[in-house]
Amino acid sequence: MSRLMRTSEITKRPVVTMAGEDVAQVKDVVYAAGGGAVGGFTLAGRGLFSGPLKQSLAWSAVTALGSDAVMIADESVLEPTQTLLDASAASGGSGGDVLGSQVLTDTGTDLGTVVDVVLEVGDTRGGACDVVGYEIEASEALGTKGTKVLIPLPDTLAASGQHLMVPASAKDFVSHDLAGFGASVAAFRAQLEGPK
Amino acid sequence: MTLFSEAKGRQVVSTSTADTVGKVHELVVDPATRSVLALELKKTASGDTLRYTDITAFGEDAVTVAGADAITEAGEDVAALLGKDHHLIGKRVLSSAGDDLGKVTDVEFAAESGRVTALHLESSEVSGQRLLGVGSYAVVVAAEQ
Repeated sequence: MSRLMRTSEITKRPVVTMAGEDVAQVKDVVYAAGGGAVGGFTLAGRGLFSGPLKQSLAWSAVTALGSDAVMIADESVLEPTQTLLDASAASGGSGGDVLGSQVLTDTGTDLGTVVDVVLEVGDTRGGACDVVGYEIEASEALGTKGTKVLIPLPDTLAASGQHLMVPASAKDFVSHDLAGFGASVAAFRAQLEGPK
Repeated sequence: MTLFSEAKGRQVVSTSTADTVGKVHELVVDPATRSVLALELKKTASGDTLRYTDITAFGEDAVTVAGADAITEAGEDVAALLGKDHHLIGKRVLSSAGDDLGKVTDVEFAAESGRVTALHLESSEVSGQRLLGVGSYAVVVAAEQ
């Protein structure tokens, strides 16, 4: 079973070894492969006065991403931040921050602005951590202006740092909570692929 | 089965002299073997560590040893597991899937072998077989399949 999570819930989550030591906490999510998947996490130290760490955590080294902690085998799996950023850049990751971007349909309708990123976390080691949608603050076009809604994403999309382009049909798959969102993502992607 | 809460404070008595040679203060758990490696004692003359294998019996009313010389200073392996960072009771429990399961309220172990048989949490119980690690932040247990 995989689960859906907002990235805002993942930041500050402790990184804990199987020996029960909290070696870091998540600072930011680094996207890879065109922004469609998570490449890893930049880290900060634990405690009030600790700043960012020079070590980062690649997604491939994560044993599990749970609701309370990011589990790793031990501290040796951390790698220099630059290695992670280079790997992400090499796979075409934008590294840009999508928060605050305006979501536009390919027919030119403004659906709202991005306030959070929704991830689907595979439960077994080696599973992907995919970006499956965004939480947006809805515009008038959705009829619920000002409320936060979730919209599913196709596997790839164009993003400029200001705008995100989505197919016009994305609008029909909006949902209001994470519980029903998994089905929306699946339905939306099936529709994009077209009849088999 | 014996609980840590019951074991603490139990007297340690020498079978050769019938003297009380110490009192159980803490139980030192080795997560690698999922068992009690040693007892940390209070009020002893020769040291504060009694290895579990040096115990004659872990009885219901007292722990018996052959003689006071079984009580020594902590060896390297025991010393590495001493201290608050390695205590289980009161610590949060994380599954290997990264989910918080609650806090450890007590630990159950087999008196004959020292093997940890169960962790008691506030509202559940976890088999001792699932224990993976005990660190300063959390007790880690294998996630349920």
